[in-house]
Amino acid sequence: MSYIVYIIIQILTMVLIAPLVNGIIIKVKAFSQKRTGPPILQMYFDLYKLIRKSTVVSDVSSWVYKAAPYEVFSTALAAALLVPVSTMITPPDSIPGDFIILVSIFALGRFFMMAAGLDTGSTFGGMGSSREAMISSLAEPSILVCLFTAGLISGSTSLDRMMVFMQGAGTPLIHPVAILLLLALLSIIMMETARIPVDDPSTHLELTMIHEAMLLEYSGRHLALMEYGAAIKQLVFMTLLLNLLIPHDQFIAMAGVGAVLLSLLIYLLKVILLAVLIALIEINTVKFRLFSIPNLAALSFILSFLAFLQYFLLGGSYV
Amino acid sequence: MGALQIENFIQTSIFLFFTGALTALALSKKHRLCNLVSNWVCIAAGLLLMIASVMKIISGDGLIHFGLFQSTLSFLALEVKIDGLSALFLIMLSILTVCVSVYSIGYISHYYGKRNVGLFNFLYITFILSMIFVFTSSNAVFFYIAWEAMSLLSYFLVIFESERIENQRAGTLYIVMTHIATAFLLIGFMISYSYTKSFDLFGNSDAIPDGAKTMIFILFLLGFGTKAGAIPVHIWLPYAHPAAPSNVSALMSGIMIKTAIYGLIRFVLDFLGIQQAWWGGLLIGLGIISAVLGVAYALMEHDLKRLLAYHSVENIGIILIGLGVSFTALAQGSQLIGSLALTASILHTLNHTLFKGGLFLGAGSIHYATETKDIDRLGGLIKTMPITAVFVLCFSLAISAIVPFNGFISEWLTYQSIFAYIAPGQPGINILFILAVAALGLAGALAASCFVKLFGIAFLGNPRSENASRSKEVPATMNMGIGILAVLCFAIGVFPLFIIRLIDRVVSGLIGSSIFDRLQGGFVFTWYSMDLSSNKISSLEILAAIAVLTLLTLLALRIFGGKYIERKYGTWDCGIETINSRMQYTATGFSKPIKIVFRILFRPSRKTETQGGTHYHPHRIAYTVASESIFEKYLYQPVYIRIRGFSRRTKFLVQTGNISNYLIYIFAAILALMAYNRLV
Repeated sequence: MSYIVYIIIQILTMVLIAPLVNGIIIKVKAFSQKRTGPPILQMYFDLYKLIRKSTVVSDVSSWVYKAAPYEVFSTALAAALLVPVSTMITPPDSIPGDFIILVSIFALGRFFMMAAGLDTGSTFGGMGSSREAMISSLAEPSILVCLFTAGLISGSTSLDRMMVFMQGAGTPLIHPVAILLLLALLSIIMMETARIPVDDPSTHLELTMIHEAMLLEYSGRHLALMEYGAAIKQLVFMTLLLNLLIPHDQFIAMAGVGAVLLSLLIYLLKVILLAVLIALIEINTVKFRLFSIPNLAALSFILSFLAFLQYFLLGGSYV
Repeated sequence: MGALQIENFIQTSIFLFFTGALTALALSKKHRLCNLVSNWVCIAAGLLLMIASVMKIISGDGLIHFGLFQSTLSFLALEVKIDGLSALFLIMLSILTVCVSVYSIGYISHYYGKRNVGLFNFLYITFILSMIFVFTSSNAVFFYIAWEAMSLLSYFLVIFESERIENQRAGTLYIVMTHIATAFLLIGFMISYSYTKSFDLFGNSDAIPDGAKTMIFILFLLGFGTKAGAIPVHIWLPYAHPAAPSNVSALMSGIMIKTAIYGLIRFVLDFLGIQQAWWGGLLIGLGIISAVLGVAYALMEHDLKRLLAYHSVENIGIILIGLGVSFTALAQGSQLIGSLALTASILHTLNHTLFKGGLFLGAGSIHYATETKDIDRLGGLIKTMPITAVFVLCFSLAISAIVPFNGFISEWLTYQSIFAYIAPGQPGINILFILAVAALGLAGALAASCFVKLFGIAFLGNPRSENASRSKEVPATMNMGIGILAVLCFAIGVFPLFIIRLIDRVVSGLIGSSIFDRLQGGFVFTWYSMDLSSNKISSLEILAAIAVLTLLTLLALRIFGGKYIERKYGTWDCGIETINSRMQYTATGFSKPIKIVFRILFRPSRKTETQGGTHYHPHRIAYTVASESIFEKYLYQPVYIRIRGFSRRTKFLVQTGNISNYLIYIFAAILALMAYNRLV
């Protein structure tokens, strides 16, 4: 499959599916509260409405404030290029990055988002940036150790090669390393995408908000880009977990366009199931105190460290 | 260019520096002229040195070799020898010298008529000259003289604004620590001399037995570690660097502490040879501690320059991790991974020279414009100093290892060398290495937080003081000096293979295996494969992707969203209608969550005092927060108190002030020496 086709499929899939994930999570949560909830496609309508509205910009702010939404959105998309939704469409050895650069690309978007929080001179923005700085710093070692372990097992830091290697194990989650990494990545997703034990995406209460506090001043298309960027980032992390630890392409015994479509369909199913799982976690946990979040980060780090030890000290081949 | 021309270039450059220093003294009455002349001489000499050093590396392996001073005592010959490694560090020194000198043309103007500009420039140029000799000296005696000159000259520069008591204290701490370091080096050289009977740094060390080599390594590690500012021997650094004028801070942080990295590579890797894997392990351990604690302490600072000084500790940590991986791999015979890690570590040294030099110059610009170094008194500078803001943003991204800047490239190489060396069946190394990965990740993320704090609080939002709102953009020469560094940071980030090719020539000369062939792609860093992994990155492609995607986003917004309509309005103020700059987050507030999470390191304490009124509605509240440095309190303070107590008790027993006692001491010393000579 050629590089251009890969880029188009990758971007389109991510852009089209990302808001759906939020819709599903909100729907499942509403269901658990015996409410009807907004339609699953509500976020698409919101985004469309937002980009058509005029934009209010704080007169304290500078160009950093206006650049940040574009930066957040385009870095999320650039990151999406590095995490294949299906290994069937990846051109061999031409993706220009690995997971180390992935982490760095997210850091670029986050840097601008945190700076924009400070740019309007509002207390809320600073509060959100400050808390985001803490959470993202604590999550970083865990992400790296987790991906390093997966990378070392598969002998490459490039995500598409890692995914292909992991397919060799046949049945997903057969090896204890995969289970440990799954749990670690799941808690990283909760931290990185502002989900409930860490942050509550559905409130604007100053005591609890983190991600929303940084976006508080944004409106119109800037807000749309920020929200969309966050949704895509969430999907990228989910794809990372799904395609790395629960690969599916090894089960497809076909070739050609049909196989690709089938693979994408299975990917969509996996995303929906993971979204439901995330919703269930959100339903069954309460939001932590801000200073309990380090415990979650520590747990996640220990899980990924155990995965590393499990593989390298006790030995054992993955495939 | 032949070897002779390179030699001429270097001699001319050294001669120019000497002349510049003397001219500066001669012109010390005419401040403006003196400053212009000495800085232009530095720029010219720096450019010559840079061209000669690059040519030296490109032209090949031979040594550039000339004597400055011959004497009948063989070890006292002041001989200059330049191999690839020296040339590489000379490149770093000369790039920074040129940029800092361009910057100083404008920056020193605030000294006109107030201070002795001639003396300052004399010290500044001789300081650069002493570093040239540190990098090029061919024997230990010359190295020691240059090293000591560098320490003393930088001490005078640290206390240049000596009317402030904290500068004097910083200077004293610096001179004491740096001499302790020098003492370790001296003992190391002596032990080495006693076996090899030679001070030659380019000789071989076969005559030294293994046990002595380990001892020399430990001594060098202590000596150079102190100069580099590795934790726990870092305590002078966060005081001395902020005390010096900003252009000198840039040189000290940018290149002076790198003389220690040069020393570790020159004396340990090149001269002694790596004997045991645990040497590398020790370096990695020091690196992990320095990287994580350095950045953690930086986060707690709201003094602009002290924050940057702690970041130097962090980056020295990252460099030491790379060096440690290289030592470990070399000790176990993996030449390839050893050279990869050494390349990573040297590249990070260069990168740190560029962005930390730039950041200190940026801090100097802020100080020049606002006369304060306290981040909590700044704010909104992006409107008054837009150019400085862009440059500081570039350096902030570079130091946080964010694409597409140079810091990322060297960290990526470090990660790759660690990645390549982890394999089943070596439990100790694996655990240490994965901890190094976690430490690098944590340090990178905390550094990003810290620079969001620096950039966000100082440049964004509303001004927090009169000084900040009155500030103006600094003179063009200052921005030019910073600008060159920013462009270099970006250029190395996007086209790293230029500089990696130079470093690889040197590394393959030292270790004997080249990694450049494995970094395929020529101009752009695209393909890279090692025995264990097959990974590739391209910052350029990522940058292009981000740019194209931004354009596509704009296009899509235009199609689906129609015309962009913007309305300016005040920041949301919850209806109180008088939002003011004191309601913004401060640097202290920004880092508070991290301070609480890592409270074991900072031992934060707070004190609230209320005056008048009722308990719930006082007239005045004073709120102070403090955090303490555990190293100063639990490591240095007890030692200092014991030494002081001991000297107080013994002072009048030994130092009686009575001349006959002193004569007895001299007599006893001579007797002891004669006895020793007789017996041994």
